[in-house]
Amino acid sequence: MFRVEHVDVCYGDIQALWDVSISVENGELAALVGSNGAGKTTVLKAIAGLLKPRKGTITVDNLQTHVMDAYKIVEMGVVLIPEGRRLFREMTVLENLEIGSFIGRARKGKNEKLKWVFSVFPILEKRIHQTAGTLSGGEQQMLAIGRGLMSDPKLLLVDELSLGLAPLIVKNIYGTLREINRSNKVTILVVEQNVRLALKIADRGYIIENGRITGEGKGGDLLSSEKVKAAYLSMG
Amino acid sequence: MLHFAQILSYGFLNGALYGLVALGLSLVFGVMNYLMVAHGALIMLAAYVTFWSFFYFHLDPFVFILLVMPAFFALGWILFKILYQSLMKYPEGEKIKNSLLISFGLLLIFSNLAILFWTADERAVTTRYSGKVIEILGVRLPYIGLGGLALAIIVIIALHLFLTRTYFGKAIRAVSLDHEAATLMGINVNKVCLVAFSLGFALAGIPGVLTSLHAFNPAISFDLTNKALIVLVLAGVGSIKGVLIGGLFLGAIEAAGVYLVGTPYREVFGLILFVLILMFRPQGLAGRKG
Repeated sequence: MFRVEHVDVCYGDIQALWDVSISVENGELAALVGSNGAGKTTVLKAIAGLLKPRKGTITVDNLQTHVMDAYKIVEMGVVLIPEGRRLFREMTVLENLEIGSFIGRARKGKNEKLKWVFSVFPILEKRIHQTAGTLSGGEQQMLAIGRGLMSDPKLLLVDELSLGLAPLIVKNIYGTLREINRSNKVTILVVEQNVRLALKIADRGYIIENGRITGEGKGGDLLSSEKVKAAYLSMG
Repeated sequence: MLHFAQILSYGFLNGALYGLVALGLSLVFGVMNYLMVAHGALIMLAAYVTFWSFFYFHLDPFVFILLVMPAFFALGWILFKILYQSLMKYPEGEKIKNSLLISFGLLLIFSNLAILFWTADERAVTTRYSGKVIEILGVRLPYIGLGGLALAIIVIIALHLFLTRTYFGKAIRAVSLDHEAATLMGINVNKVCLVAFSLGFALAGIPGVLTSLHAFNPAISFDLTNKALIVLVLAGVGSIKGVLIGGLFLGAIEAAGVYLVGTPYREVFGLILFVLILMFRPQGLAGRKG
């Protein structure tokens, strides 16, 4: 349903992505893994419309999204949870979630969505009137995911959620994402430096190196391939 | 003592007007980092429009607010499209510099056009209630000043409710905190900025009407922008409630200065305050950005 085809992206004169192609089917959980600076975040930004590809196409359900404004891509159901969470720190937890349901489609089912988010992350309900900046790192990440879910996503893009969080919290949050993916039919693409963790839970994985896709396959297959073991898992 | 109470209460009533003067400028600067120094000229223009509508049609200035606000909203909309839209893509510092240059140009153009069309003569709207006072414990409070205070409180509460209770108001706050994150929520940042900018113009209409009830001339544009910048610094960026408090504070400081030193030095105290705040508390008395 969702395809990135032969995409080049540049920052000014500096090219960051070369001929990147990725596809994710409905209901899948896919992972894009690679080391720091490989271009993972750039891929997500291009999908979300924050960067415009110089070449290639990005389509959602056969509609071209790479020509749209970023805010319209959200209305298409493509929602990015950005690196560093980017919460509205001086607004309350509730206000952050409400802003999440800004687009017309999401606004209608706001109250049910809110209940659902609170059932997934009960801690957020306890913190409902606290400003987002006062939450702990893990709680902030939960709020960022909750805010993304409020937008009623068909495709959820999650950028580097493990950054700065304790391993146990990361494991829990990934478990929750898998739950959301299975029970609510939300297609998810995660971007992750923690290769082992991401490929373990993913149906499909892509490896990106220096702005080029260098490997793809089922998550488990990639994890056991010699190349990945050598390059990322120090098991060579 | 009574003399001091009288001067101080005048100071507070002036201060409420200063709060209103700064409100639009503060909103625009908070949301999109545009430093609209032409704001004082907009207030001056609104004062002239009020004056002529009273002169020709005998429209009560307080009622005229309902007409001048939408008219200025429209003016803001047009000027944003022509002059300010293209600045949206620049980084924060560039936005401040470029918008400052454009706005300073507008300030000069508007002030000089006003002199050209309406001369530099002092004017004032004189209504039935001009000069009337209410006396409380020997302190005389003019109707017009009290009307201004009431308006300032009403407008600031209304703006606060708009920004905290409505979807669009929350979107404005989200944009003021993080443009990119707001975009990722499906918010059309360009449109939000267009509306906030035009709202800033509309908010110039209210102090404009109040200014028309005192003596005014084209040169007050600069004084008003000056007051607005002092209040902005006092209140801190992004604080709407702080604007009223900052305005009242400035009014009180000026009053104290007038009482202790003398009327000719009134403007000096505001500027000293401005420098002191920037030196010792640059985030403002109630501001958010450190």
